[in-house]
Amino acid sequence: MAATATGPFGFAPAIAVFPLVAFVITLVFGRHLPKKGALPGILATAGSLVVSVVMFAAVAGGGEHHTTLYEWTSGAATSETMVEGIEFTFGILIDPLSALMLVIVSLVALLVHVFSLGYMNAEGETGLRRYYAELGLFTFSMLAFVFADNLLMAFMFFELVGLCSYLLIGFWFRTESAPSAAKKAFLVTRFGDYFFLIGVVAIAATFGTVGFAGEESFVTAAETAIDDGTTLFGFDAETWVTITGLLVLGGVLGKSAQFPFHTWLPDAMEGPTTVSALIHAATMVAAGVYLVARMFGYYALSPTALAIIAFVGGFTALFAATMAVVKDDIKQVLAYSTISQYGYMMLGLGVGGYVAGVFHLMNHAFFKALLFLGAGAVIILMHHEQDMWEMGGLKDKAPVTYYTFLAGALALAGIVPFSGFWSKDEVLFDALAVGLEQPVILAAYAMGLLAVFFTGFYTFRMVFLTFHGEPRSAAAEDPHSVGWAVKVPLLALGTLATVAGFANLAPVAELLHADITFLEFWLDGKYGAVEGLTYHAYHETVAFEEGVIGSETTTMLLSAGLSLGLALAGAFTAHTLYNVPEPSRHTTKLGGAYRVLKSNYYQDEYQVWLAEGLTLPLARAADRFDQTVIDGVVNGTSTISLFGSDRVKRIQTGIVTNYAALLVGGFIGLLLVLGYLGGWFA
Amino acid sequence: MMIEALIAVALVGALVTFVAPNRIAGKLAFAISLVPAALSLWLFAAFDGSGNALLDGELAFESQTAWLEIGDHSVSWFVGLDGISLPLVVLTTILCTLAIVSSWTPIDERESQFYGLILFIEASLIGVFSALDFFLWFVFWEAVLIPMYLLIGIWGGPRRKYAAIKFFVYTNVASLVMFGSFIALVFGLGDSVTSFALPEIATAMRNGGLDGLFGLGGPALASVVFVGMFLGFAVKVPIVPFHTWLPDAHVEAPTPASVLLAGVLLKMGTYALLRFNFTMFPDQVETYAIPIAAIAVISVIYGAMLALAQTDLKRIVAYSSVSSMGYVILGLVAYTTFGVGGATFQMVSHGLISGLMFMAVGVIYNATHTRMVTDMSGMADRMPIAVGILIAGAFGYMGLPLMSGFYGEFTIFFGTFGSELLEYSPLFTSLAMFGIVIVAGYLLFALQRTVFGPYRLETDYEVGRAPVHDIASMGVLLGLIILLGVAPDLIFDMITDAIEPIIGGGL
Repeated sequence: MAATATGPFGFAPAIAVFPLVAFVITLVFGRHLPKKGALPGILATAGSLVVSVVMFAAVAGGGEHHTTLYEWTSGAATSETMVEGIEFTFGILIDPLSALMLVIVSLVALLVHVFSLGYMNAEGETGLRRYYAELGLFTFSMLAFVFADNLLMAFMFFELVGLCSYLLIGFWFRTESAPSAAKKAFLVTRFGDYFFLIGVVAIAATFGTVGFAGEESFVTAAETAIDDGTTLFGFDAETWVTITGLLVLGGVLGKSAQFPFHTWLPDAMEGPTTVSALIHAATMVAAGVYLVARMFGYYALSPTALAIIAFVGGFTALFAATMAVVKDDIKQVLAYSTISQYGYMMLGLGVGGYVAGVFHLMNHAFFKALLFLGAGAVIILMHHEQDMWEMGGLKDKAPVTYYTFLAGALALAGIVPFSGFWSKDEVLFDALAVGLEQPVILAAYAMGLLAVFFTGFYTFRMVFLTFHGEPRSAAAEDPHSVGWAVKVPLLALGTLATVAGFANLAPVAELLHADITFLEFWLDGKYGAVEGLTYHAYHETVAFEEGVIGSETTTMLLSAGLSLGLALAGAFTAHTLYNVPEPSRHTTKLGGAYRVLKSNYYQDEYQVWLAEGLTLPLARAADRFDQTVIDGVVNGTSTISLFGSDRVKRIQTGIVTNYAALLVGGFIGLLLVLGYLGGWFA
Repeated sequence: MMIEALIAVALVGALVTFVAPNRIAGKLAFAISLVPAALSLWLFAAFDGSGNALLDGELAFESQTAWLEIGDHSVSWFVGLDGISLPLVVLTTILCTLAIVSSWTPIDERESQFYGLILFIEASLIGVFSALDFFLWFVFWEAVLIPMYLLIGIWGGPRRKYAAIKFFVYTNVASLVMFGSFIALVFGLGDSVTSFALPEIATAMRNGGLDGLFGLGGPALASVVFVGMFLGFAVKVPIVPFHTWLPDAHVEAPTPASVLLAGVLLKMGTYALLRFNFTMFPDQVETYAIPIAAIAVISVIYGAMLALAQTDLKRIVAYSSVSSMGYVILGLVAYTTFGVGGATFQMVSHGLISGLMFMAVGVIYNATHTRMVTDMSGMADRMPIAVGILIAGAFGYMGLPLMSGFYGEFTIFFGTFGSELLEYSPLFTSLAMFGIVIVAGYLLFALQRTVFGPYRLETDYEVGRAPVHDIASMGVLLGLIILLGVAPDLIFDMITDAIEPIIGGGL
């Protein structure tokens, strides 16, 4: 561990420090800077990207890095496992997982900063300094979250990205809707973080450590406790691991917008589209899933927790995909698709498919950032119109936007050979393999599989309505133009969305018996890794049986064929319905289901009711109780002594000199009495 | 003699300010208050104490002079600081200076008296936190009440008389209960003690020197005294159901008085609980742990629910203090290093954050002349920097990491979760922690309605930016909040050093 602390890894803190510096510079001097602070942000994220790539290369060269930077606090405490004393620190853990994530986050952040030049600066927007400062603070927090080496540090930066999300969703604070959406986003995720914080506290109090890696980690401590049959807080060790794991999962479900905490994400589209791309698609929402991957060794100890993760993931994938089908706003479609796609990642991780989950996380970051930035470009083209029914025919007028968007759409729908196909297929294959032995997982798999059809459908409905057919409004007839700052990020992400899947061609490798599953090797520590944090180590811990239909090869091909077939079927349905010159709504065919879908299964209604229909009246009732009963007793007591106070009132002359005289006189009097008692005058 | 100097400067400063012309009183008081602020920072830097002041610790800046004899007991001028009291003294001097600055705009009558009273409060508060003789301590304890009563009663809002009398009578009755209980304790200790010096009494208590009184045996007397003192201090904290004086006092008090009331005066209650109940009665703490934890949780949740129902910004912040102080009680009763240490840290942290919140609300009030959430919206449009600081303060209140509030709450939660003294501690901790959701609810709701949205405020004048001196003083507080959030060990180390003797070497 110590041997690799020198060399390139010494620069690791700079990854987060660059954006922090950009934040401070922009905050203080932004008004006087050209482009209102865009340049420090671009330079900082570029710097972070360079250092991240260096870290990536160093890991590829067999290195890893785990070091403590700063001791936040320490003290005496006795944990359940009899560890004396505890230290809470800030440290850096760079292993294959975090190195990969650092590159993804800093790359997307850089591209979004560049895109902002075309999206925000060009529009005569006020408040750009605030925008770039908050973006810098976000990038700092997110990168620090990614390389955090312990759960508490991760929680802290998890909260800070939540703050930035709040601020950026509410960027257009002069409207009514943006501040409301920002509040909702923070509150819903805070509700999840409540459980997360209990989880952190519980883990710290149980094991006396919050470290992710090494002998001193809570994962190792939990393994030992389970092996020794220790009783923790009155539970057997495995049950306690399940409980604490599920508590932490509360934060994951909140941030990654999983059912039932998904309701904030569609509202978060009130923020600028660049923010949606960076925070509410590619990075912050990924933080939840990343956290599960980061502490996968812990979840691997609890089959119950894993099964719950898988089931919630599968359910959310389907649930959100069905809602995306009826949305008219292009960003809303993407928002629901984001929720759905994170469901897939959860499904993958929940069945023990660590590689599959991380693979989809990576691919999704690229293609969803691409789609959101593409939607941003469309919004520029359309003079700030977001309703897809007002669009149409943009294909020929904006070819760069169209083709890059199409690449993203193909990846999202999961059409071979675009990136999304490979990772989604791997998730589904892993789920099927476990599902053949576990009915609960099979149900989760079935939901994930069905969601593929809906994904294909809503994705291409969006593409056809936006780009195909005849223009349906004046804005679509005569679109605005977009500049290089918009096109360059689109092209970069379009390329990645197309080819990123080649990082792990599992079915091809199976067929050809070729060693081309590079991502699996990467996460398995074939190049460099921290001991214990490898795919193999996790896979051995996960207690799931896996089944096959025929042989492993046929199962894999069957699974791939099924998901590809469903995706194509969905896309084809969209083609027949919407790829016509004058598409019309087909929602009446859905009947009552349409209303349910359009109302998002009334999820918002009941959550708003919880807040405004239940909690607020309860608070008001408490207030009335407080005013009448509790304060009534207090005032009642004083009425009894009213006579006395009536006399005392006379000294309230309102003349301060009198009060001052009383004050000083009283003080002296007290001294005299005490002095007399003390025998001064004897 | 450093502490005496600190008190003397503030006291003499108060007298000088009393007789100074109104015109210069504000600036004069500010200049004077810089001396104790600087001195206390010097004390902080030069602090060389260790251990607990009451339990054989090495006192810093100790000074003891015989004063008088009452019966068999001697009373002395006895002051000194340990790791618990020093941070509170620094908090006091800094907040007093900033409170003076925040008075410049709103206070426009009888200035010399106003600023004189603030300096008088400062002297008394320093005395409360540094006195180690019960009589001396009690004199300072009572001396705080009078100027605060006057600040509310003279410079307050429309119902100032009611609020001031309620504050004064309520806390004074509580003091009486506490005083009586303590005297009973001293008599009960009989020959074990020969003075009112708190270290002597604490040591005697922990050595089991309590004999009994009025036919009560030692343990029974200890329980009676413990409960009596707890009730006495509970009003000051305040703990539900003794909290109703607080919102009234806050709403009527002028901004600087609110800053001091929430920032320091409430801490007198928790400080005294820690010094008396939780230091002298370890057995009773264990006996009453569950009921105390229960009212702590109720204070947190009920206080937060009350805050949720308010539409007056000041009432919101006032009720949220009830909620935050509930965390302190929970941490104390956990009786672990992190629990009690976190509670002490939270006293300082809450002093800074609630001070900042009251200042920010005051700045908005100065500009708008209303505090009602329903009266305004979109203030961020007109006062961007002040609102930015208000938002930062609100997130500090919500326990945003890297700000001091998070550290205080996290250490309390962590220290309580694994407490061995408190049964069902995970359950109590989890329940109390739900406060972090409700606090986000009411603060974000208030922010959404007042500072965001389209600008709306019915005035016949143009609302401009906040004055620089207000921004600067809020900036100082925000800086301290972030500093303590990033580097909590600046004070946490000395706090735990003073805590560990109380709980017996550290659980």
